[in-house]
Amino acid sequence: MRRTHRLVVAAGGLALATLMAACAAGHSPTISNGSSQPTGQKEKGGTVTIAEVAASPNDIFPLLPATNSNGYNGDLTLGLWPPLVYSGDGGQSVVNPQESLFSKLTYSDNDTVITIVLKPWKWSDGAPITSRDFLFVYNLLKANYNDWFDYVQGLFPVDVKQVQTPNSHTVVLDLTRSYNPEFYTDNVLATLALLPQHAWDKTSASGKVGNYDETTAGAKKVWSFLQAQGTQESTFATNPLWKVVDGPWQLATFQSSGYYAWVPNKNYSGPDKPIISKAIWTPYTTDTAEMDVLRSGTSLDVGLVPLNDVRQIPALEAEGYSVGEVPAPGVAEILPNLWNNKVGPLLRNLYIRQAMEYLINRKEIVQKAFAGYADPGNGPVPTVYGQQWDSPLEKAGGPYQYNPAKAIALLKSHGWKVVPNGTDTCVHPGTGAGECGPGVPAGFPLQLQLLYGSGTAAFDQQNAAFQSSEAQGGIKITLKAEPFNTLVSTTGTCNEKSHPAAICYDWQLEQYGYNEYLMDPSGAGQFNTDANGNYGGYSSTEMNNLIDATEYGASSQAFFKYEDYAAEQLPLLWLPNEEAVFVYKKNLAGVTPLNPFSGLLNPEVWYYTKPAS
Amino acid sequence: MTWYLVRRIGQAIAVVIGVMILTFILVHLEPGSTAKAVLGLKATPARIALFDNTYGLNRPLPVQFWLYCVHVVHGNFGISYVAGQPVSTLIAQRLPRDAVLLGLSTLVALIIGVPMGLYQAIHHGTVRDDVIAGTWFTFYSAPDFMEALLLIAIFSVHFHWFQPAFPGGITSVGGIFADPSALVLPVVVLAINSVAGFSQYMRSSAIEELAQDYIRTARAKGLGERLILTRHLLRNALLPIVTILGLSLPDIVAGAVIAEAIFNFPGMGLLFWQSALAHDFPVMLGATLIIGIATVVGNLAADVTYGVLDPRIRHAVA
Repeated sequence: MRRTHRLVVAAGGLALATLMAACAAGHSPTISNGSSQPTGQKEKGGTVTIAEVAASPNDIFPLLPATNSNGYNGDLTLGLWPPLVYSGDGGQSVVNPQESLFSKLTYSDNDTVITIVLKPWKWSDGAPITSRDFLFVYNLLKANYNDWFDYVQGLFPVDVKQVQTPNSHTVVLDLTRSYNPEFYTDNVLATLALLPQHAWDKTSASGKVGNYDETTAGAKKVWSFLQAQGTQESTFATNPLWKVVDGPWQLATFQSSGYYAWVPNKNYSGPDKPIISKAIWTPYTTDTAEMDVLRSGTSLDVGLVPLNDVRQIPALEAEGYSVGEVPAPGVAEILPNLWNNKVGPLLRNLYIRQAMEYLINRKEIVQKAFAGYADPGNGPVPTVYGQQWDSPLEKAGGPYQYNPAKAIALLKSHGWKVVPNGTDTCVHPGTGAGECGPGVPAGFPLQLQLLYGSGTAAFDQQNAAFQSSEAQGGIKITLKAEPFNTLVSTTGTCNEKSHPAAICYDWQLEQYGYNEYLMDPSGAGQFNTDANGNYGGYSSTEMNNLIDATEYGASSQAFFKYEDYAAEQLPLLWLPNEEAVFVYKKNLAGVTPLNPFSGLLNPEVWYYTKPAS
Repeated sequence: MTWYLVRRIGQAIAVVIGVMILTFILVHLEPGSTAKAVLGLKATPARIALFDNTYGLNRPLPVQFWLYCVHVVHGNFGISYVAGQPVSTLIAQRLPRDAVLLGLSTLVALIIGVPMGLYQAIHHGTVRDDVIAGTWFTFYSAPDFMEALLLIAIFSVHFHWFQPAFPGGITSVGGIFADPSALVLPVVVLAINSVAGFSQYMRSSAIEELAQDYIRTARAKGLGERLILTRHLLRNALLPIVTILGLSLPDIVAGAVIAEAIFNFPGMGLLFWQSALAHDFPVMLGATLIIGIATVVGNLAADVTYGVLDPRIRHAVA
């Protein structure tokens, strides 16, 4: 549910992205994301039990080590140590100023200096939250960024020349270069939580708190100590370190199974002080077990409806649940390996990718595979949640709406003999007009293998639909499903430098879920040359420049330029992206709108209602 | 008998060492990068290198095997890549719970299966025998996930009699009994399949024993039928059941993936399955070793018990 890692991808059945049913078609009219709330009097207190599937947090220190990719740790810690910049407001892709720890955030000196004024809030032990706490975080990360999971190459803290704290409530960040303020606020500052220097700046459990973080050696020792403490599951709920929080919740119970309970932080300074008296997160081994409990209508107050069970929503409503949905903040795609030793030259031809995209019937996939609960996937930006990011082109359906005739015409005009429901072959090799393009010899068949993660019925249906619709243009797709982790471990980034590497022989097309976005759906790290997330080896100077303009410049039009270019150039084949569907007890208010940027569930704003007397 | 025991224990140790070597090799033959499987698609080369260094995956295989042996000798089997906890802790959390759940279901199956097999043997060839055998074979043939979902649909969703799953967060053996209504359906599902096996082994064995001279002699001496069944027939007919029970030990230790998944019971089966998917080598190796040890111990226990129950075997070996 709450997922803070910026690099999380969907993993069949186990993650936030384990979303909706494949079997049912059509959109349930009863599902909403916030328009309806239960009526009745607000009741103070009560316990809410929330189901989490296959979720076992294993580290409570909010700055996770680089070797810990467990996204469920964010579920555990986000309510205890919320970020400096709170993402999402009413389900919208905007900064929430009320929940954020800053009262003022200004960029100056050509956007190279950021001045952050902190609100006069307090830690749970009564100590004030100060600029020293920010400095503590910075010092720890500066000395240990290579061992920080959320570190993105070149960004915080290495892009900071110095941090000044002119007074206890002001932080001045002097950056090494100018940034687009929106990008930096949404995608960098929103990943940073403040930590209580007055309680955590120590190197042993029995040692005194000092200013160890002020030297690199000291910061390393503090980091090691906190990291080690952060993995001691048996003391998560009792360790005095973790009792000092600035979020609305404190951890009351934690069990190694992943079961834990939050109780209100009585000294929480923020606006949304918890109304319920306890939130329990209870783990389920599988979504089948969770659904059985929801169907029996007994012990669960909030739960995710898994992909394959949306058709059971009427039965759940009969058991006393309301239903809410929220788009997943990300973009789904099929990755073309432009440097595969066999089909790389073929896929590097833009017209081939264009023909393939014209043949994807995204609207049908939304209805048939995702029962209507999916973003249409018109380009690199989700159109459902990020209205302000959507260019007119994406809003209008993207550059390549389903059109087999256009695909066939495109292939024929490039020297292919098109055999619908057969296999096209190149009949006019060469690099001139009307020819197949570089690296495509005569007789070359237009056939490709799609690798994808097994175990999710919606993906099976989506990819079968893809195979079937591509066949209309004579593009023969063979499907191969593998367990997600096998897929991840056996495929890798292929680009001009890595080619020909053995790992690039193994995959041609790949579909694994979706790329998660923070608030700013930037292409940085995904489509720029040699970016870490650019697995298929797409490279374009123009794309690099356009991405740089969104990351480093402040032009309001720069984003749309990048977005449209990426939509047209198809570094990935765009696909619909699933949404999350939740059920919650009918007398529980405040669950919707679900906030996709704060882990979906915010029990601090929930409350039970009783019928008006 | 002592020499027999020493020899069998020696064989058992050799088998366990063989299991260690074989599983270590097999696990490392799994294709792909472990670091990438754990860290995800966007793991950077630097992060992969850090992971490999942290867990010693960049060292030669013989060195890794040696380190694994050292961990085993120290009893912790290493650290899980995914959970970040010692493997011994993960196993210690799950194994006792599995042992209780599966032990309980085995007990239920024995309590039903043994008398039923005896009853069928006494009435073998009758319609009653056929009806009972047919009924249990029907259950035996049905997949356990189907039985589980059917029972949940009827008794949890429709009638609301029993909990459909264990409450989340069971961490102790005692936790299993915190809500007894959650225990009913998993025990029934796990027992159903075992009843058919126990009853049919018991039936065959008892039919064979009923034809033996000593039973005829007992009857000729005028012993009561109940006495013949309990004192003479039962003891001898139970021998195959002892073997099955011994061989069931690894099943109890290995857990029951389907039941664990459906009934929200995080046990050894799910642990092993999830670790295999996640390339979590230390957990896979630890779980395999424990199951291997349970297999040899189960076999050994069955052999020894066999000897205790039937002195002819003991003497023949000696």
